[in-house]
Amino acid sequence: MRDDCRKVLEQVERYLDGELEAAARLEIDEHLEACGPCMDRSEFQRSLKELLRAKCGCDEVPPQVLERLRSTLAHL
Amino acid sequence: MERNATAPLEDPALRARFERDVLPMLPHLYSAALRLTRNPPDAEDLLQETYLRAFRGFAGFEEGTNLRAWMYRILTNTFINSYRKKQREPITVQDEDIEDWYLYDRLAGSGVEASAESEVLDRIPDEEVQRALEALPEGFRMAVLLADVEGFSYKEIAEIMDVPIGTVMSRLHRGRKALQKALWETVQERGLVAG
Repeated sequence: MRDDCRKVLEQVERYLDGELEAAARLEIDEHLEACGPCMDRSEFQRSLKELLRAKCGCDEVPPQVLERLRSTLAHL
Repeated sequence: MERNATAPLEDPALRARFERDVLPMLPHLYSAALRLTRNPPDAEDLLQETYLRAFRGFAGFEEGTNLRAWMYRILTNTFINSYRKKQREPITVQDEDIEDWYLYDRLAGSGVEASAESEVLDRIPDEEVQRALEALPEGFRMAVLLADVEGFSYKEIAEIMDVPIGTVMSRLHRGRKALQKALWETVQERGLVAG
């Protein structure tokens, strides 16, 4: 693996988490646009984040949970 | 002093604001409570307790500051103080043998075509993804949950969990690696790849 690829891939998590400064983000953007293998890995990492958001954050709230909560708060 | 703690009772405007701003967070908080407690009855109790504490403390909440982060802080603190299992659970991930890009490299190495690695992820059942997240040790599970499911920034997560940002980053990196290993096991068990 090339050094510039390694450097980019080390930062991909922070890049996808939106935690890089503009200049560093731009550098990664430019590298990914020109480097298919790094883009592929970056997109995979993005898919992993999306997988968690899609499958771990939308459980249906049982109606009795909301009812119990409303009733508790109403009596305070 | 005691009056302060019960202020929302006597202030209809505050009560209305609580219902308007905090109750709509219930679906997300319920999912988070499920991931933390791993079972619906405890998740329901954790939510009740969280909302009670939030309601009682709402008079002291400064409007215009981060309400979502405030609620998740109450949720995680309530969980840590009252609901986490007292049994001996691992406090850290065993990730010495998990290299970076663990899942990607295995999918690529098992004949999945280039750029199709993400499609394999979509075929993993919801419950298996939830189980993989729930299997992470608590501190790692919270960090990944807050970042990837709830979309909080590192700074917000550090404040919610009351740890330094460096700890958040390390837990995210290691937690995600452990998650990839668990997902790879599921992919193999379910025969989602040929190899």
